[in-house]
Amino acid sequence: MSTDLPPSQAEKAVDSDAMLVERTVAGDQKAFELLVIKYQRRIQRLIGRMVRDVDLVEDIAQETFIRAYRALAQFRGEAQFYTWLYRIAVNTAKKALMDLKRNPTVSENSFKSGDDDETSPLENELTSSETPDAVLASKEIAEIINAAMDALPEELRQAITLREIEGLSYEEISEAMSCPIGTVRSRIFRAREAISEKVKPLLENQSGKRW
Amino acid sequence: MNIMKPHTQTSELLSALADGQLVGEDFAAALQACQQDESALARWDSYHLIGDVLRLPARVPAPLLRGVDLGFVDRLNSRLAQEPLAGMALLDPDSVVPAHGAVASELAHHRGPASNDGNFRWKLVAGFASLAAVSAIAWNASGLLALPASAPQLAQAARSPQVVVASPQGMMVRDARLEELLAAHAQLGGNSALQVPSGFLRNATFETPQNAGR
Repeated sequence: MSTDLPPSQAEKAVDSDAMLVERTVAGDQKAFELLVIKYQRRIQRLIGRMVRDVDLVEDIAQETFIRAYRALAQFRGEAQFYTWLYRIAVNTAKKALMDLKRNPTVSENSFKSGDDDETSPLENELTSSETPDAVLASKEIAEIINAAMDALPEELRQAITLREIEGLSYEEISEAMSCPIGTVRSRIFRAREAISEKVKPLLENQSGKRW
Repeated sequence: MNIMKPHTQTSELLSALADGQLVGEDFAAALQACQQDESALARWDSYHLIGDVLRLPARVPAPLLRGVDLGFVDRLNSRLAQEPLAGMALLDPDSVVPAHGAVASELAHHRGPASNDGNFRWKLVAGFASLAAVSAIAWNASGLLALPASAPQLAQAARSPQVVVASPQGMMVRDARLEELLAAHAQLGGNSALQVPSGFLRNATFETPQNAGR
């Protein structure tokens, strides 16, 4: 999730992550799996900007999550979980590069930056690990999701727009749309399901059967 | 009456969880559902992927978009299975799963590694440094505390007898030794080097007697 969200959504997202961290620390490994799935894309993209070796990207991403897991009890929730994870990823990548005496492929700025905004230009730079096929597939996924979004019934499109793009909480959406919170939750879910159905075949092509 | 299928219920819970809208029993139920429903993780991933795409600014090249690599997650899980539950017992030792009970009890009082854990000499140096600092502070403090008690005694011991004398300004209380000094130099009256009555300045001038050198 992007972290340049309005306060209501950002706060909620932090709460959700913090709760998953708490559950992991209490011994529920599935909760950590949810965090890994949520942030794996962003972490690999981040590392991919720093490391030329495609194989190394996954190794460093794995090491990042292992380190995060080991240190999870020390996560106090003072920073957002992703910000904390971001630092671990950058440090792990730097260490890997030093160990291998390799040079990073990107400017120093990407190391110095504390910016964890997914929409920042650096995050959106294509990395050398992205093959033309992967780039094409990405473009296709984005097009299908946007097309599915446009095809949604008005109330579903409005609900998910207010949530994902405007960053409103369920309560705020319920006021904006003059409907109960339960309805908001249901509409957002139905919107996501409708879009998921459209994009599912593409995702399955990429990484095998998922559903 | 709730007529939703369990699968739909799980997905709706996951959707709300992705928005950080679940607490308490619902939150626990969502996690429980993830344990039982194989497809839950893929749905969780796709909900986040959809959000990522919808939030992409226009005219910005899309970053690499793909479903999460579940093989990556499997490989990570294999490695995590060999990891101790680092500091897991900190929050609630009782809630750690029984399989990790031994590890949990071992880590029950773990406070995280200190940078000097592996170096006993550093601990010794740190101990001595602390002791020296405390000693220095105590030494200074004792000196400061002792002064107010002894000072009045010294003042009292040095106090000289006082006398009451008549002066043009009226009766004055003077130090007896000062009075002796003034009496001894009374004959030095006259103008001082400053051309003012010496009687006024006699305490401050040190003129020798006029006939002293004669």
